[in-house]
Amino acid sequence: MTTITGARTRRRLAPYLFVAPFVAVFIAFSIYPLIFTARLSFTNWRGSGAAEWVGWDNYLYLLGNEGFWSSIANSAVLWLLIIPAQLVIALIAAVLLDNAKLKLRSLYRVAFVVPFVTPLVAIAQVWVVVFDQNYGAVNGLLGLVGLPDVGWLTTSEWAKPTLALLFVWKTTGFIVLILLSGLQSIDSSVYEAADLDGAGRLRQLWSITVPLLRRTIMFAVVLQTLAVFQMFAEPFVVTQGGPYGSTTTAGYYLYNHITRADLGTGAANSFLLVILVMALSLGFVRLLRAKD
Amino acid sequence: MTASTLTVPGTSGPETPDAPPLTEAARRPRRTRPAIVSHVFLALLLVGFLAPVVWALLSAFKPANDIITSPLGFDPTRFTLDNYIAMFQDVPIASGFANTAVVLVFKGAITLFFAPLAAYAFAKYDFIGKNLIFGAVLVTLMLPTIVLIIPLLLEMKQLGWVNTYQALILPGSVDAFAIFWMRQVIAAVPDELLDAARVDGCGEFGIFWRVVLPVIRPGLAGLAVLTIMNIYNDFVWPVVVASSDRMATLQVVLSTLAQNITGNRIGADYATVTGELLAASSIALIPLLVLFIALQRHFINGILAGSVKG
Repeated sequence: MTTITGARTRRRLAPYLFVAPFVAVFIAFSIYPLIFTARLSFTNWRGSGAAEWVGWDNYLYLLGNEGFWSSIANSAVLWLLIIPAQLVIALIAAVLLDNAKLKLRSLYRVAFVVPFVTPLVAIAQVWVVVFDQNYGAVNGLLGLVGLPDVGWLTTSEWAKPTLALLFVWKTTGFIVLILLSGLQSIDSSVYEAADLDGAGRLRQLWSITVPLLRRTIMFAVVLQTLAVFQMFAEPFVVTQGGPYGSTTTAGYYLYNHITRADLGTGAANSFLLVILVMALSLGFVRLLRAKD
Repeated sequence: MTASTLTVPGTSGPETPDAPPLTEAARRPRRTRPAIVSHVFLALLLVGFLAPVVWALLSAFKPANDIITSPLGFDPTRFTLDNYIAMFQDVPIASGFANTAVVLVFKGAITLFFAPLAAYAFAKYDFIGKNLIFGAVLVTLMLPTIVLIIPLLLEMKQLGWVNTYQALILPGSVDAFAIFWMRQVIAAVPDELLDAARVDGCGEFGIFWRVVLPVIRPGLAGLAVLTIMNIYNDFVWPVVVASSDRMATLQVVLSTLAQNITGNRIGADYATVTGELLAASSIALIPLLVLFIALQRHFINGILAGSVKG
């Protein structure tokens, strides 16, 4: 009997040992810094010298600050530019790629994922060169068809769409893969029945595929919402938040506090952003549940 | 869950070939679409998705001035390596590659061993604190990366780790995303398989090592490519913690060069820096592109294995 008890004890202890290394790293480099940030958000610490407890001042300052709200608005506009376009492209691409008889299928799949594996710094810099107002390839193309140059990165009305295009280009392949995995769990008999009823392809896409994929689509939307509101590296490399603050995203605005050594405000900004992002995610999850 | 049929190709153990989950051919023989419309749409996307990369790779071989005077053209007779030569002289790209390689090997090994191990515990055991810890993992997934940068940097200063490999390797080495991802994959492994191994006298770690790991190989391959990609492409944390020339990773080298271009927006300087930058970007693109194309089946199947099903 001792061996069985021994096995049981081992089975009880095993999970603790298995998670221990992860938990150690997690506490040291995620939880501890997080608690540190929480405390920091109630002080006016500037990275050196003494910190003074200021209560909710940092939060109140941000909530009454135009720059904070315009950074949220910039991210919201980017969200509107990115998510619908990306979903439509990814959904159509995934449905087409789901057809096993499609020739060149693996070539297409690879091509879509190529942007996803390229280093952001490298490709963002290519973006700067390609969309340059005077020397860029895009304006070169426009010139061929007789259109005037556009200040893609130098005017506040075009900078956001140009940045959104970079984001869509970079991440759509990943969304295609996520949707493809969802499509594989749809039973083909549903489509056969629809065929018999005489439903066309578009009708099937809208009435069968989209509803059955709802969970997967929501997963993709939540994932991309987090990414859009945290977007930092793209404006950092391509536009430095400009022109005229038009690409100062929520994530980039947060970074500005760091460069100004305004660490207390930065910490408070972090938490406001986390709350916003969580509220958005929970909102989407609710939306999904309500329809179930 | 239908996912199990995709992620666990049979229960025959280690000899199971890498999952070919794309078996719609067998499952839906009747679904065909107007092929021409499909190809037009997909081909347009393909061109759009590949154009920037192809443009960068080709333009790096143009004389620097041609890049800005004729951004669309490519004249094979004017093919040149000048941009690469200038780039290798001006930019510490070799040491950037070396530093990235060191971080990649150690951080990658840590992630690929400890993340599945912890995810296995989360997926297949009940233990006190499990929900609390996993809840914390989910919350961390929602944290913007830069939120932790200030406190992490201060922590590194206290530890004396600024500009060291430890600082590049340890934070984020077993990150929340890897745990979340692997838990999804491992949850699809049937419990019967684990119980059968237990009956055969296999220890708890032995089950993980000899039963779970072989079965989740496709998902693990996906995590491997994602991990390599994230480590290779990461630059925000390295820029902050390893900015000295000696420690700069490839992406840090690249972003430093990128800052130069902003300071040289005019004339010949702009052309030279742009040429160097495109050469450096091309070189930085190539390793991952080659890796991805070589492993694309594993990578794509791995992502398919780890995602949420409809």
